[in-house]
Amino acid sequence: MLYEAKGQWQQAETKYQTLLELQPSDAFAYKRKVAIAKAQGNLGAAIEALKQYLDTFMADQEAWRELAEIYIALQKYSQAAFCYEELILMETANATWHLMYAEVQYTLGGLENLRIARKYYASAIKLSAGKNLRSLYGLCMCSAVLSQTKGRAKDEEGTELQSLASSVIMKKYKEKCPNKARLVTSFLEKQKL
Amino acid sequence: MVGKYEIGAKAYLKAVLHAAKYKTCAVNGLLIGRVKGDGLDNFSLQILECVPLFHNHLALLPMLEVALLQVEEHFSTVDGGLQIVGYYHANERFDDFELNAVARKIGDHIIRYCPQAVILMLDHKQLAALPKSGSRKPVMQLYMRDVSRVWKQGGTTAELVFQDTTTNNLLEAYMADGRQRLVVDFDEHLDDISKDWMNRALFD
Repeated sequence: MLYEAKGQWQQAETKYQTLLELQPSDAFAYKRKVAIAKAQGNLGAAIEALKQYLDTFMADQEAWRELAEIYIALQKYSQAAFCYEELILMETANATWHLMYAEVQYTLGGLENLRIARKYYASAIKLSAGKNLRSLYGLCMCSAVLSQTKGRAKDEEGTELQSLASSVIMKKYKEKCPNKARLVTSFLEKQKL
Repeated sequence: MVGKYEIGAKAYLKAVLHAAKYKTCAVNGLLIGRVKGDGLDNFSLQILECVPLFHNHLALLPMLEVALLQVEEHFSTVDGGLQIVGYYHANERFDDFELNAVARKIGDHIIRYCPQAVILMLDHKQLAALPKSGSRKPVMQLYMRDVSRVWKQGGTTAELVFQDTTTNNLLEAYMADGRQRLVVDFDEHLDDISKDWMNRALFD
């Protein structure tokens, strides 16, 4: 780590490689290799190093999360979605993973992905007992885009969901942030049209 | 493209303090102001305000869209009507001066509504050198999009200037004071609705 702090990446990497040869189950050394790649801005190498680590330590949630974040930074949304799928499988009741999966699906775009996004925003709302503002907003945005697609049958459940989410958002703003209530109400009204 | 680019103290300070608050993250935000003169020749772009947006997952779309719509609506009623005139971005790493791909994409989107829009990239080296250099120039690199739709640095023909030349002194004073801790971005507002992304109380 001293080499890392000095920015002497090659020496640091060599040391960790030696450590790994002596003890292949050293999680710390794997992670430091990822950190070295990231510090140099070599995200491709960071991904490879993380994948190597996850081959052995596949239950490490922090690692999957880190991998997802790197994929997002590189705009590789499908791969990021895969990471969040793994996290959802590991921890089904954690609203964060549902929320992040929904955000990635929305970013990917397209009807099918937006429908998936809406489902996962809804489950994030359920798991967070309606407290998570991002999932409420996300649901409204999905519904707004989906309802604007022409040639589709009226999606009543979607409209109802959007209305419910909107009213929860407006209630929250009126309670805790009244100076923005008018702005947000106007924003939500525009999404419903 | 021939234009004049000016940045007001409030906008500049919010942007740089935002980056200073989240030293280990990439951050971004919107630049608000007005353009005088039509077309792409002989215009004057004033950046008067700024809304810090995110310090996490900058490349995700949904909350960015929510922010864009709310910011646009809010500022259309302020000061005779202001618009989104640009975007600022600070890279995660100290030695990374590349114009980020996400920055380019968001810039492309903003330029559809404001043809003279700019991207400002924070220059970490200039910021770090500020106490010694005493520079009276913004610690930012200006990018504008040329006719071939490529984002290029402004260079000497298109320079960003302060409206108030003492802005960097103010910045140093605020940073010494630790004022960056009080900056609120849209990310924080989404996590705690009572936090004000307009940062109205920041300079009190």
